[in-house]
Amino acid sequence: MSYMKKDEDADQTMIKLDRTSVFQDARLFNSSPISPRTCRTLLTKIAVLLFTGEQFPTNEATTLFFGISKLFQNKDPSLRQMVYLILKELANTAEDVIMSTSIIMKDTAVGSDVLYRANAIRALCRIIDATTVQGIERLIKTAIVDKAPSVSSAALVSSYHLLPIARDVVRRWQSETQEAASGGKQSTGFLGFGGGSQAHAISQSNFMTQYHAIGLLYQMRSHDRMALVKMVQQYGTAGVIKSPAALVLLVRLAAKLAQEDQGLRKPMMQMLDGWLRHKHEMVNFEAAKAICDMRDVSDAEASQAVHVLQLFLSSPRSITKFAAIRILHNFATFKPQVVNVCNPDIEALISNSNRSIATFAITTLLKTGNEASVDRLMKQISGFMADITDEFKITIVEAIRTLCLKFPSKQAGMLSFLSGILRDEGGYEFKRSVVESMFDLIKFVPDSKEDALAHLCEFIEDCEFTKLSVRILHLLGVEGPKTSHPTKFIRYIYNRVVLENAIVRAAAVTALAKFGVGQKDPEVKSSVSVLLTRCLDDTDDEVRDRAALNLRLMSEEDETATRFISNDSMYSLSTFEHQLVMYVTSNDKGTFSTAFDVATIPVVSQEQALAEERTKKLTSATPTLKAPSTGPPKGKSNGVAEAVTVAATQKYAEQLMQIPELKEYGTLLKSSAPVELTESETEYVVTAVKHIFKEHIVLQYDIKNTLPDTVLEDVTMVVAPSEDDVLEEEFIVPAPKLATNEPGIVYVTFKKLAGEHSVPVTSFTNNLKFTSKEIDPTTGEPEESGYEDEYQVEDLELTGSDYVIPTFAGSFDHVWEQTGANGEEVSETLQLSNMKGISDATEQLISALSLQPLEGTDVALSNSTHTLKLFGKTVTGGRVAALIKMAFSSKSGVTTKIVVRAEEEDVAPAVIASLT
Amino acid sequence: MAGIFRTIYDWLLRMFWATEMDVTMIGLQNAGKSSLLRVLAGGEFTVDSIPTIGFNTKRVQKGHVTLKCWDLGGQPRFRPMWERYCRGVNAIVYIVDAADRAALPVAMEELHDLMNKATLEGIPLLVLGNKSDLPNKLSVDELIDAMELKSITHREVSCYGISAKEETNLDAVLHWLIARASR
Repeated sequence: MSYMKKDEDADQTMIKLDRTSVFQDARLFNSSPISPRTCRTLLTKIAVLLFTGEQFPTNEATTLFFGISKLFQNKDPSLRQMVYLILKELANTAEDVIMSTSIIMKDTAVGSDVLYRANAIRALCRIIDATTVQGIERLIKTAIVDKAPSVSSAALVSSYHLLPIARDVVRRWQSETQEAASGGKQSTGFLGFGGGSQAHAISQSNFMTQYHAIGLLYQMRSHDRMALVKMVQQYGTAGVIKSPAALVLLVRLAAKLAQEDQGLRKPMMQMLDGWLRHKHEMVNFEAAKAICDMRDVSDAEASQAVHVLQLFLSSPRSITKFAAIRILHNFATFKPQVVNVCNPDIEALISNSNRSIATFAITTLLKTGNEASVDRLMKQISGFMADITDEFKITIVEAIRTLCLKFPSKQAGMLSFLSGILRDEGGYEFKRSVVESMFDLIKFVPDSKEDALAHLCEFIEDCEFTKLSVRILHLLGVEGPKTSHPTKFIRYIYNRVVLENAIVRAAAVTALAKFGVGQKDPEVKSSVSVLLTRCLDDTDDEVRDRAALNLRLMSEEDETATRFISNDSMYSLSTFEHQLVMYVTSNDKGTFSTAFDVATIPVVSQEQALAEERTKKLTSATPTLKAPSTGPPKGKSNGVAEAVTVAATQKYAEQLMQIPELKEYGTLLKSSAPVELTESETEYVVTAVKHIFKEHIVLQYDIKNTLPDTVLEDVTMVVAPSEDDVLEEEFIVPAPKLATNEPGIVYVTFKKLAGEHSVPVTSFTNNLKFTSKEIDPTTGEPEESGYEDEYQVEDLELTGSDYVIPTFAGSFDHVWEQTGANGEEVSETLQLSNMKGISDATEQLISALSLQPLEGTDVALSNSTHTLKLFGKTVTGGRVAALIKMAFSSKSGVTTKIVVRAEEEDVAPAVIASLT
Repeated sequence: MAGIFRTIYDWLLRMFWATEMDVTMIGLQNAGKSSLLRVLAGGEFTVDSIPTIGFNTKRVQKGHVTLKCWDLGGQPRFRPMWERYCRGVNAIVYIVDAADRAALPVAMEELHDLMNKATLEGIPLLVLGNKSDLPNKLSVDELIDAMELKSITHREVSCYGISAKEETNLDAVLHWLIARASR
């Protein structure tokens, strides 16, 4: 009877569990004697609260923690287990949790009940602090190699968590971990009497310890690449590791190693290849995925993986098919020709009853197939569009979008498909992706413009998403006036003014105005102004304001109005964002004393922005966005290189303005990146920055004296250009005094002899000249007399690339033709034997030439050949374009043919010379 | 024969008048709290025990009374937590290393700090001068003076000299504790 009552009780409380009342009940823990049953129920309630996201405040958690620790007097094993579960969760919020260390340690010792020994170990690692870890070292070590898999796993996982807080101690457990990883002993013998099925279950979980051990070993060695390689090779050999999960871990590790180090690529690829034939599907998939995700994977390397995946496509199990088609789908986005061979198998999946598989099959085919098959596939998709979830619909829409850009001739069919699904039911994300695809069509496939606009007009008639309506109205405003029948759109737009909410109305008014301004046809103009006049009576003030402003603009001269309404240029958004972030996150109080200056943001025309967007969209499925594990991107995405240069120049400009003599040189045009002229460990560390002015060149030497107890005085730099007829030294700004480890700056200025447009190229020999004085150790003052000394540092090269600034342009071919038409061209073939590969060469060439890579060519897709397109402007504004063709062979390194075109004289040869 | 009766009598007592009591054992580190508890619970004395991190519990059976002993760590960082474990117990046992004269002022200060806590009002206190087997130990009277036990009021205070190693005077300790059970 009592059972019945308790269960009823529990049922009710489970429904409305309240933190405060549970906390009140927790006084039960202090009662004596302890009733294990009621305590367990209460602990379960706490567990429910904790796992459903309830947080106990610190003081309550602490009280609970201590209350619960009183339950250690009771020996009931299930109560003890529950106690550990809760302690582990509370350990993060409660204070003074270290108190329970001793009592828990008793339970982790060999010989205590196996039932809760693993729980005790897991709880222990949560409450322990870094200084006490040493005290449990022996205990954990024995637990790691314990016979019971649960204990061993718990110890391994605990060590994993302890690693960050006590790295050195945990690293000493390597040999035990290795023993657990190789899993020499099986627990089946130990618990074998439990019967076949149980023995199986046990041995399964025993393999799990291998997984945990491999994970821990990886964390222990993560800093040491050679140890990781050894680990992959040692455990990767067939038969050593039985746990498929552990192998999957090794696969990922091998892939990571191959990505990070070109030298390891080959052996790791071999390992991956071997895993393709492993008996566990899980491992096969992971290996295939790793190979497909590999940066610049060659067709030959991938074909084996694709073949394995192809076999899985005809597997009877849905999950296998799904996994295989998903990997193929991703891979097909950037190497469709390799996936081609699977096409017959994928075709068979189109009609699969599992919609997810069918969706991926179709989208994969859309990527691999040729133009002819597109129509058939589109028909197939529309058949089941209604049955799949939004997520897959988006996948399909994305696929179609890239297809539109690839085969513009097919736009009619795809447009009708898109407008068809736009009418279907769907969430915001789905609708947005459809609308964006149509936007892209309008932007990049001019033939489709009128039809697409018409479809969008229909869509906003019945659109529940304000955000989308606003975007569409804006587009209608931009594109509508350029079409043959602008009046058609005016009707749709005005309908919005009548029927929609204030936000949409405001957007519609702005769109309407664009039809009126700069309009040739007086009839249209007058009808727009009539419509706008009606909007003046709107209930919303924003709508009224916009209408009034636009009416006023329409009555203005056309030129002013056009400037306001159809503004064709915008800020370079990436630079703008970067600058704003720099401004807002600045630590220097002085930054905020002046307002943010918008004028420093480069303005790009609509056309440029569009071109950039298009390249981004076309390449968005290519490896640019891949391999997130290869560490932070190197800050060379479009626009960023530009922004960095600009920011650096600004910083130096401020510094240079402090020096009165340099003021009359005018504004700073460009500053180079710092060049190290010494090793970083020498007595005097010198770096140089080249500043380019209109008619002058200023060399800035940052000098640091690393000698202890000496002071350098009257520090100057004796600089001699190797050619004396191009530059004339004007003056030196010396550094008066350099104490130990205090940086100082010496400026040396030169005048360009050949005038402001010349590009003098030379190299400077640099001699540091100073008076060295020792510091008297007793007084701390430098001695009266020192001795003069000279110290030669490395030569500084002034090259053509110092005169160019990376600049963005929409279309490379366009600027290439233009600079070719009114400038000079120089070409050269170079052998760069010290480069490790194409991608390495690409990176180095970009930085050496100081030009902006265009059209996504900064990412090399192939291992053997690559074409790099670069563009920039000289400090005086002349355009410079470079086309670099590269070929790589392991024998001769990277061979490059560089063609540089420049509008100004001497620039092209100077730029090329900066590579030699 | 008498032994059998004695056992039955004990058993009956346990059956019907069984009482449990909570005892908290505190003191500076290395005073011998864990060792004393081990010996009280019938274990062997060991010289090299590891410092208690946090606390430990043990049950000690004596006649019809079960003592639930909370052995708290004595290192400085655990001392703020003593008070929490002393609340509502039947007795507090404060163990002092009677041979470590240098540590006595600290031991005295910590004890008086604790006794001034309002939550521990009226709980009986037993001060034990451990390690009485060592040559240069303090006598009980010296200890009472050194610890200024006379100034502790509003509670029962007793002081014994014991040795966990030689097991001297331990019975007296148990008797004193059991006498507090029926409070």
